[in-house]
Amino acid sequence: MTDRKIERGQRLSPTLLIGGTIVAAIVLVAVVSFFWTPWSTIHTDVNYPAAGPGTAGHFLGTDTRGRDIASLLMAGSRTTLYVGILAVGIAAVIGTPLGILAGMVRRGPAELLMRVTDLMLAFPALLLALVFATIWGSSLTTAMTAIGVASIPSFIRVVRSGTVVVMTTDYVQAARVAGRRRFAIAARHVLPNVMGLVIVQVSVSYAIAILAEAALSYLGLGAGPTTASWGRMLYENSAALTYAPVILIWPGLAIALAVLGFNLLGDGLRDRLDPRLAGR
Amino acid sequence: MLWRIVRRLLVFLASVVVASIAVFWLLSGLGDPARIALGTSATDQSVAELRGQMGLDRPLVAQYLSWAQGAVHGQFGNSFVSKAAIGPQLFDRLSVTLWLVAGAMVISLIIALPLGLFSALWHRRAAGWIISGITQLGVAVPAFLVGILAVAVFAVKLGWLPSGGYAVPAADPVGFLQHMVLPWCSLGLVQGAVLTRYVRSAVLDEMGQDYLRTARSKGLTPFQALLRHGVRNASIPVLTVLGVQLVTILVGAVVVEQVFVIPGIGSWLVKSVGDQDTLQVQAIVMTLVAIALAVSFVIDVLYSLIDPRLRQR
Amino acid sequence: MSVTNRTAKRFRLLTAAFVGGLLVLSACSAGQSVTPTSSSSTPAATSSSSGSVGTSSAATGSGASSGPATSGPGSTVAPTTAAPVSDASLSIGFILEPSSLDFTQADGAAIPQVLLTNVYETLVKLDQSGTIMPSLAQKWTVSPDGKTYTFTLHSGVKFSDGAAFTADDAKFSIDRVTTAWKPVAYRAQMAEAASADIKNVVIASTTVVSPTVFKVVLAKPSNSWLFNLTGRAGAMFSRTGVADLANKPIGTGPYTFQTWNRGDSIVLARNDSYWGTKPSVKTVTFKYFSDPVAMNNALLTGGIQVVSTVQTPQALGQFKTGDKYQIIEGATDGEVQMTLNDGKAPLNDVRVRQAINYAIDKKAILQNAWAGYGTVIGSHESPNDPWFVDEADKYPHDVAKAKALLAAAGRSNLTLNLALPPVPYATAAAPIIISELAEAGITVKATNVTFPVWLDQVFSKADYDMTIINHVEPRDIGALWANPTYYTRYHNPAVAKLLADGDAGTPTEFIADYKKAVVLLADDAAAAWLWSFPNLIVADSNVKGLPKNAVGEAFVLAGLSVG
Repeated sequence: MTDRKIERGQRLSPTLLIGGTIVAAIVLVAVVSFFWTPWSTIHTDVNYPAAGPGTAGHFLGTDTRGRDIASLLMAGSRTTLYVGILAVGIAAVIGTPLGILAGMVRRGPAELLMRVTDLMLAFPALLLALVFATIWGSSLTTAMTAIGVASIPSFIRVVRSGTVVVMTTDYVQAARVAGRRRFAIAARHVLPNVMGLVIVQVSVSYAIAILAEAALSYLGLGAGPTTASWGRMLYENSAALTYAPVILIWPGLAIALAVLGFNLLGDGLRDRLDPRLAGR
Repeated sequence: MLWRIVRRLLVFLASVVVASIAVFWLLSGLGDPARIALGTSATDQSVAELRGQMGLDRPLVAQYLSWAQGAVHGQFGNSFVSKAAIGPQLFDRLSVTLWLVAGAMVISLIIALPLGLFSALWHRRAAGWIISGITQLGVAVPAFLVGILAVAVFAVKLGWLPSGGYAVPAADPVGFLQHMVLPWCSLGLVQGAVLTRYVRSAVLDEMGQDYLRTARSKGLTPFQALLRHGVRNASIPVLTVLGVQLVTILVGAVVVEQVFVIPGIGSWLVKSVGDQDTLQVQAIVMTLVAIALAVSFVIDVLYSLIDPRLRQR
Repeated sequence: MSVTNRTAKRFRLLTAAFVGGLLVLSACSAGQSVTPTSSSSTPAATSSSSGSVGTSSAATGSGASSGPATSGPGSTVAPTTAAPVSDASLSIGFILEPSSLDFTQADGAAIPQVLLTNVYETLVKLDQSGTIMPSLAQKWTVSPDGKTYTFTLHSGVKFSDGAAFTADDAKFSIDRVTTAWKPVAYRAQMAEAASADIKNVVIASTTVVSPTVFKVVLAKPSNSWLFNLTGRAGAMFSRTGVADLANKPIGTGPYTFQTWNRGDSIVLARNDSYWGTKPSVKTVTFKYFSDPVAMNNALLTGGIQVVSTVQTPQALGQFKTGDKYQIIEGATDGEVQMTLNDGKAPLNDVRVRQAINYAIDKKAILQNAWAGYGTVIGSHESPNDPWFVDEADKYPHDVAKAKALLAAAGRSNLTLNLALPPVPYATAAAPIIISELAEAGITVKATNVTFPVWLDQVFSKADYDMTIINHVEPRDIGALWANPTYYTRYHNPAVAKLLADGDAGTPTEFIADYKKAVVLLADDAAAAWLWSFPNLIVADSNVKGLPKNAVGEAFVLAGLSVG
């Protein structure tokens, strides 16, 4: 134990603070966008395409079709959160129990599960998303399901290693001696103790899902034409690069900010929830 | 240790077989390849004929076995859409992508090793914080966005480099370098930022170890102590990450190739997905998965060569 | 300590060996199989073009012939003075790469774009105004009943494999469309026998009269048959050169096929034994870009010299400064339309279709989506068509009228699906259409579909409400609107009759009937026509001879020169 760690446990680290603020802001914007955006996200102001900030009541200007950029950015945060919830939800809901299982049972089944996990790691998220797009056609839900499935192994690995540690603790040993059933031990003792790890992994996977959505939408395999999405804004306005690059800067910034927020949040949470790893 | 490597090799081969079954099963029986191949104007009779020629009327297991047999020899059949043999193209395009990946990997290492080391050594100083902050930003920006902006600035605005395309290194080495600089940097910078963070955390871990404290108490600076004792231990987690990174870059190349119009395996995959050319998608995905499995196998073997605890077994 | 150093060294060595191995592997393979874009081994012919072309005799057509008196020799798109043969090479950017080189087996516009007129020639061809001109046939006559066509062929023409081109090859090529081609649309154009998928026999007989005289008797008179002969169905193949069309195209054209670097480019080289005026440019590279922005960037950075089709017209400003680039704007045969499923409720109701036409502001759509390049159209026609009638103002932008029509049809709260294929004009136009239809009370559910899905769901099964597509084929009005089983599901016997009668009638009747059909289609609001697709080319300003209008299926290279 170093003095640095103790010091860190006492106050909110700047990492956690900044990351938390960014994520909270995105959530807030997304919630607001359900009730209010400056303009309708499908409204095209045909007379003012690619207009600069402040033109004709468009706070950040319009995109190449004349849609209000500020409104699209706001509604796009909804898509960003949705894809994260879907992808990370799939990964966490499937990966966490499997990880606990792999950590609790010995030998055979666990060994097999970890081999399958290794195998799944050979299917990176983007690759699996392209396979899924071939099978079910391109849509946001298809893409995010693929990214969710591809993120399962990382959850299994993280949770398993946490579970192994928890299983060696005195109270779990005591519970086993007392004849508690395995399921009860998993639910009562293991799950609460690995929850911190899961939350950290959720944050990290969220950032990965956002990047993947952006890439897939840029390839035209993500969000549909009437869905406001930051990645789709890059795709639809790519021609503007030479004559109105600012249109591309906004969604680019939004993506970077969201990823930064979730990464910082993950780092901050890791420092706080898992003292073993503090200081990285 | 030899036993360990042999065992790992067997696991690798078994994984490839299982992965091939998964890839084949996932992408088989979708739509009707024969109808896709013939287009809209085809009659049912000619579609049925072609299905027979393609062997699509056989049981799935038989189809898999003949596909797998071909795949072992690099023969993936002919594309449904273009009718061209997939195998030779796969090799051509893979070679292009490997150049892209290798260059990006070198750049990410050039960035990550020193930056990671120093940000760990200076982790309590302003310089360390600044490096960390920059890498956080680097991780957050998608590689294709870096690519788009790089094209806008260095190719279109300044005219220093070509905006995209590819030159064969053996035929035109200078052109090859000119075409690859921007793609290498777009992929390498972002992955370099990711790697920097891993190097930093690995080095920080080592700095907390007792033997380094002892070494430092003997009067060595942290840098000297680390260089003498910590490199090997820190290299183990970095090595693992390197393997993951290699696969990440390989897949990241898919989008970057699209931005820079590079005729590699990634842009080919995107096109095949758009064409629903399932046989071609199968071949490409299988190749990439096999590479990913091979990388993790090689990393594991290296691992056991470096780590003395494992070597003694 | 020494253990540490040794292992570290071993680690470095192993890593180096691994990475090095990968590189060596890739370098070797790249060197072997990616063919660099080198030119052919034939030395450049330095002699200037000789006047050996014999296309000057007039067609002596009568009756239904639209064969004109021809003007100058050589290519119809060539400038008045043909540029001398040079060592120049040219790279031209395109969007759609062919899936194969064999258009007798595979459909798609990208194959004839490269090969037709350049590698394969036809008996007759189109000039810039759409007039039918002599090509491999130096002249032709049409019998008074409009059924018998007699073509007099050039002699001394050779295929690139050395075989002579004779009337036997002409008969072989035309007969082969029925017997060996796959795409049914082209088999139907030259059909010599009815089959499961073809109802109408077009050609009654083909006869070799002499090595230079070829005779075709039609089953009934047709104005479109000779026009179709200018397209891919009229391509002339060698009797000894069709064994491997997918890899080795053999034709009589001014260019020969060199290499195809899949996913990247196709290279054609000048045919130095060409029978006509030899083209000026020695090697032409068709370079393919899936991303139109990347294609623009390639022009800006010297990777290509011509952007054959501008897909990002808003970005044209960057080429307007200075005199480094030229912008060419003309017409194509393509109509961008929002196809409405005329056979399915609610779009089988003419009032709903008219409401949609009133709801959209076509001028604003063209201005916004395509930067104003092109012509607003109100029916199925291109300014290239001789029967063009301006119907653009049939349904002026009028939201109130649209709402009234919807109310009258009992469809005030309407939700329609819109299937969008991955093409820039659809991506660009869709947001505006969605926005404008929303104002009229129509909710649009738009989905992106890949081309195979589009072909399957929309085109084959007609399982759609609306879609946006550019119908690029020349003179395809009959294919779209006279056939109730086509994906438009449009069924109006009056239109079908007008088109059939016009085709069989005199040239004057032909034009008159087609004009009537065009107006009928607009009245019916059979589709929401958006704009006639412009031929928009940007090129280095020293590239000469680029066509103003894109006429026919080929990107014609013969008239191009550099300097």
